[in-house]
Amino acid sequence: MTAAGPPSSSPPWGSDPSYAVKLPIFEGPLDLLLHLIRINEVDVTDIPIARIAEQYIQYLDLMRELQLDLAAEYLVMAATLAWIKSRMLLPPDPSAIQEDGMDPRAELVARLLEYQRFKEAAGEIGDRPLLGRDVFAAQAPAPEPPPEGEREVEVGVFELVEAMRRVLARPAHTGAAHEVEVETITVRERMLAVMQVLADRAGCEFEDLVREDGHRASRPILVTTFLAILELTRLEAIGLYQGVDDAGVPRGAIHVRRRGEGADRTWIERVSDLM
Amino acid sequence: MEREQERRIVEAIVLASPEPIAPARIAAVLPGCNPSQVRALIDELNAEYAEQRRAFEIWEVAGGYQLRSLPEFAVYLKQIQKSRPLRLSPAALETLAIVAYRQPVTRAEIEHIRGVDAGAVLRSLLDRQLVRIAGHREVAGRPIVYATSRRFLEVFGLAKLGDLPSLRAIEALAEAGEDADALAEEAVQDGVASRPDALDEDDAAQDDLAAEEELAAAEEEAPPPGVTTH
Repeated sequence: MTAAGPPSSSPPWGSDPSYAVKLPIFEGPLDLLLHLIRINEVDVTDIPIARIAEQYIQYLDLMRELQLDLAAEYLVMAATLAWIKSRMLLPPDPSAIQEDGMDPRAELVARLLEYQRFKEAAGEIGDRPLLGRDVFAAQAPAPEPPPEGEREVEVGVFELVEAMRRVLARPAHTGAAHEVEVETITVRERMLAVMQVLADRAGCEFEDLVREDGHRASRPILVTTFLAILELTRLEAIGLYQGVDDAGVPRGAIHVRRRGEGADRTWIERVSDLM
Repeated sequence: MEREQERRIVEAIVLASPEPIAPARIAAVLPGCNPSQVRALIDELNAEYAEQRRAFEIWEVAGGYQLRSLPEFAVYLKQIQKSRPLRLSPAALETLAIVAYRQPVTRAEIEHIRGVDAGAVLRSLLDRQLVRIAGHREVAGRPIVYATSRRFLEVFGLAKLGDLPSLRAIEALAEAGEDADALAEEAVQDGVASRPDALDEDDAAQDDLAAEEELAAAEEEAPPPGVTTH
C-alpha cells in the first residue's frame, strides 16, 4: 500500500475491481488501525475516528471479498470503532456519571500506543543477529555417555534360532487338566502382543516374550511368537541385540528393543497392509 | 603461567564447550584466575580475532561464553546447516517481545496487547523453547504465566535479560526520525560489539528491567512448581 490517503468516498484500494491488490499482512485489528493511521498521516492521539472507521470497514469488506479468514477480533474492533464514533457525535449525556470529560477514544489510543511500542520492540529484537539465522555457534558435541552395561551387537537369525532351541528344550507348562482345545493363534496377533509388551518399555529379553506365568508357553504360541519377532524385525519395528564376550562372540540373552521414535505408527500401518 | 598460555586455554575451553560456558567454570580450571580475569582474557582474544580478521568471535550469551561466526557469513553457513534456518514470523516476534518485556505474563495479557488470539503462537514458541511456562498467577482461574527461556537469551545473543534495549530507548529511537527502521538497523550494527551498555544509559529504563533481572535470578535458583519447560 503505497498510495497516499484515499478519498473517503472510494475504497482505499481503488475503484477498479480488476486492480491487483497487494494487501499488507496485518497482525490483527490494532496493526490494521496503525496502518490506516500511518497512511492517513494523522496523529495517533487525535484520530479522525469517522474517516478511520470507514476505511477500516472497507478493509474488512475487501478481506471478506478475498475470502481471507476474518478473525473475530477484527469484528470486535469494528464494533468498538462504531461505538466510539457514535459517542463522539452525541452530545455528552448529562444524566450519565461524569467521566471527567474523558475522550471516548482514550482507551483505544492507549491500546494503540501500547501495541506500537511492542511492534517496535519486536522489530528491534528481530534485527539482532540471531543464532541459527545470522550467527552460528561452534558446535562441539557433548561427550557421548558410556554405553549402558554391556557392549552389544545386533544379532541375526542364527542366534535367534539358538535361543529358540533353548526355549523349546525347557519343560512346557503342563496344566493340571488335560483339556483339548484348539487354539488359533495368528502371527499378527503375536506381533501385536509383542508390541504391546514393548509399548511401555524400550526393550525386554527374547525369552520373556515366550514365557507365560514363568513357564514356557505352548508350542503354537512359541512358534507364532518366533515368526512374529522375525516379521517385526523385518519391518524394522524392533531390533535384536545380544551382548558379546571378551572375544567379541555374541553370548547371553537376546534383547528385543523397540526401534526409534515414531516407529510404532509405521509398523502398525505396515502390519495392516500385510494382513 | 604466561598470559598467552592462559588465553589459549580459555580459547580451547570455549571452542570445545557444547553450550555457553560461564566465566566461573573457566576460572575454576585456571590456577589463580577469577571470573573477571577470565573476562579480560576473553576481551583480549576478541581483540586478537578482530585484528587477525578471523570469521568468528566470542559472545557472552545466557551468562556464558560461546564462539560464534560473524553475521556476514550467514549466507554461506545457512546452506551448510542441516537444520532449517531460524525463522520468526512478525506474530512470533511481537509475542516474544511482549513476553520478554512483560514477563511473567499471561496469555490474556498478551492477547490484550496484540488484539488477537495468541494460543498458536505461544505453542510454537514453547515448542521452540524460546518461551517457558513460569508457573501460575495466584488469581481466579490460576492462569499460566509465561517467561522467556535461557534459549531465548542464546538465540537473541543476550548475556542477560537486562541487556535487552529498554522499551523507552526503542521509543526514543522510533521518535528520533521518520526512518525508524534505518535507525534501528544502525543501532543494532553499532550495538553488537558494545551491546551490554549501548542502550542502557537511561536510569528510569533500568527500573523496568530490574524486576526482570530479579526474575532471571529466581529462575536460576528454583524453578516454580509445575514447570515443564526450561
